[in-house]
Amino acid sequence: MTQPVTIIMIEDDEGHGRLIEKNIRRAGVNNEILPFQNGSDAMNFMFGSDGTGQTSKGRAYLVLLDLNLPDMSGIDILKKIKENEHLKRSPVIVLTTTDDEVEIQRCYDLGCNVYITKPVNYESFANAIRQLGLFFSVIQVPPAE
Amino acid sequence: MRLSTRIRRIPPSVLLAIGFALMVLISIFAGFFAYQSQQSAARVAHTLAVEGEISDLLLALRVAESAERGFLITEDEVFLTRHAEAASAVKRQLIQLTALVSDNESQLARLRILRPLIERRLADFRAAIELRRQNRVEAANDIVRRTENRDAMVRINAVARDMLGEEAALYRERGTEASQSYMGTFILMGIGGVFILVLGLMALLALRRSDRERDEAQQELIETNENLESLVADRSRDLIAANEEVQRFAYIVSHDLRSPLVNIMGFTSELEALRDQIFMQMATLRQNQNVKDETEAETEEAQDSEEATEDELYTDFDEALQFIKNSISKMDKLISAVLTLSRQGRRAFKPEFVDMTEMVDDLTGTVAHQAGEKEAEFKVEPLPNIYSDRLALEQIFSNLIDNSLKYLRPGVPGLIEIKGRETPLQVIYEVRDNGRGIEEKDFQRIFELFRRSGTQDTPGEGIGLAHVRALVRRMGGDMKVESVFGEGSVFTVTLPKKLPKNERTAE
Repeated sequence: MTQPVTIIMIEDDEGHGRLIEKNIRRAGVNNEILPFQNGSDAMNFMFGSDGTGQTSKGRAYLVLLDLNLPDMSGIDILKKIKENEHLKRSPVIVLTTTDDEVEIQRCYDLGCNVYITKPVNYESFANAIRQLGLFFSVIQVPPAE
Repeated sequence: MRLSTRIRRIPPSVLLAIGFALMVLISIFAGFFAYQSQQSAARVAHTLAVEGEISDLLLALRVAESAERGFLITEDEVFLTRHAEAASAVKRQLIQLTALVSDNESQLARLRILRPLIERRLADFRAAIELRRQNRVEAANDIVRRTENRDAMVRINAVARDMLGEEAALYRERGTEASQSYMGTFILMGIGGVFILVLGLMALLALRRSDRERDEAQQELIETNENLESLVADRSRDLIAANEEVQRFAYIVSHDLRSPLVNIMGFTSELEALRDQIFMQMATLRQNQNVKDETEAETEEAQDSEEATEDELYTDFDEALQFIKNSISKMDKLISAVLTLSRQGRRAFKPEFVDMTEMVDDLTGTVAHQAGEKEAEFKVEPLPNIYSDRLALEQIFSNLIDNSLKYLRPGVPGLIEIKGRETPLQVIYEVRDNGRGIEEKDFQRIFELFRRSGTQDTPGEGIGLAHVRALVRRMGGDMKVESVFGEGSVFTVTLPKKLPKNERTAE
């Protein structure tokens, strides 16, 4: 990553969050990872208290998004990010357990950049996250305008 | 209940029966009255006949008298003949009259008075005629002139009048009787007629009412049928909704159970990695210590015992981790099974025409190698085709075929027969094997999730048949098993020829 990109990890399960973080780090990614355990906190951080996203201007985010959240659906967050003029170019990677075809289609329709189903088996899970980390180290993330 | 409604409730058949009974009664009474009036009429006629006879008798007596007088005056023989005729007529009339009034004691008594008087008159006539013949004109005239003879005639007339008077009284009496009989008949007929008319009217009304009721019932039936159809449709929709709810529930539960499982698995792996690091560090530490203590020979033993403890610790660690991992993978398999089942339940069916014989041949082909190893043989008869979901059918039959191969009797060459037949609306397929069979108490159990039957010597999770039955039921069919333990089993799958429309199908 050419710019200091902040990885925003929205994942309600703390254990999953830690495992994801560990495996991303193992891939040699040293960017800041901000974990959020619910949608509202993450939204507040990204969109600011006024909800316009103005505060995020100039910062580069990469969003790791789980769809099953306690307070709201990940799909709503995805929709809001992709509809916001400042944040719409931030890559969103949906990382969830659902492999429902309809859900996947909906996410891509709404502008999600990558959809990954969490592998059920831990070995595959760790492996997938490590590869995702390797992917992070090469992609370009534009800053919010 | 008001009387009128109660009458209206009488069924037409009862009304008709009452009407019929009335008719019979009226007929009996009418017959009786008719007989009575006929009797009266006969008696009236009899009275008239008696009156006629009496008049004839008197007339004949008069004729006999006038003929006698004519002969006395003219001495003409013609009068004699006429007299003889009249006298015999008088006798004849007397006999007839006696016969006619034989039933009437008072008339007979009068007749007994009349008879000697008439005979005496006739004897007088004969005596006068005899005297005239002998030309004793004066003597003959004497007989005619004798007053007692004239008195006899007066008495005859009086008795005859009495008789006539009695007959006239009888005539009046019997006439009234007859007319009363007629009146009775008429009144009876009239009342009966009115009754029958009323009954007929009631029966007509009852018939019309039952007609109307039948029409209403028919209408109701039609409406009920229509309602029933929509009711069945509603119920199907409810069932499908309930089924979907259960599927969703199973999906969410299995899904949510899996999340913590990933953590347990993940951190167990992390622990394993940590353990390796710790033991590595411990080894390094010991090595460094060894270098320091190289000169001290007595530590050799202590070092050995330290290494042994370390190995023991390592195996203990390993055992614990292995148990955790095994349990997790077992739990993972179970959750996966539930997830697969619920996902199957969510998959939309795509109905198409399926050549079942071809499909089953393909399925047996894929397990031919396995079958060869177990010395099992397949016998597939031509199967009826079906319009349904191909993937579901493949899953059903591959499961059944796999099972039949899996549970053969050791040492007995397997024979697996697959056949089918059809009814107007359904197709019925049978998978029959000569394997180990299932005990009757397990007939239901084997279709339950995670349940298995018999000796647990083959790998499996107890999912296959649960899945198969769930699929068959979703396709609108049902399945059952028949088996003799130790001889073989028959799995029967009954499916609708055409996948029902209310089942969720691909849009």
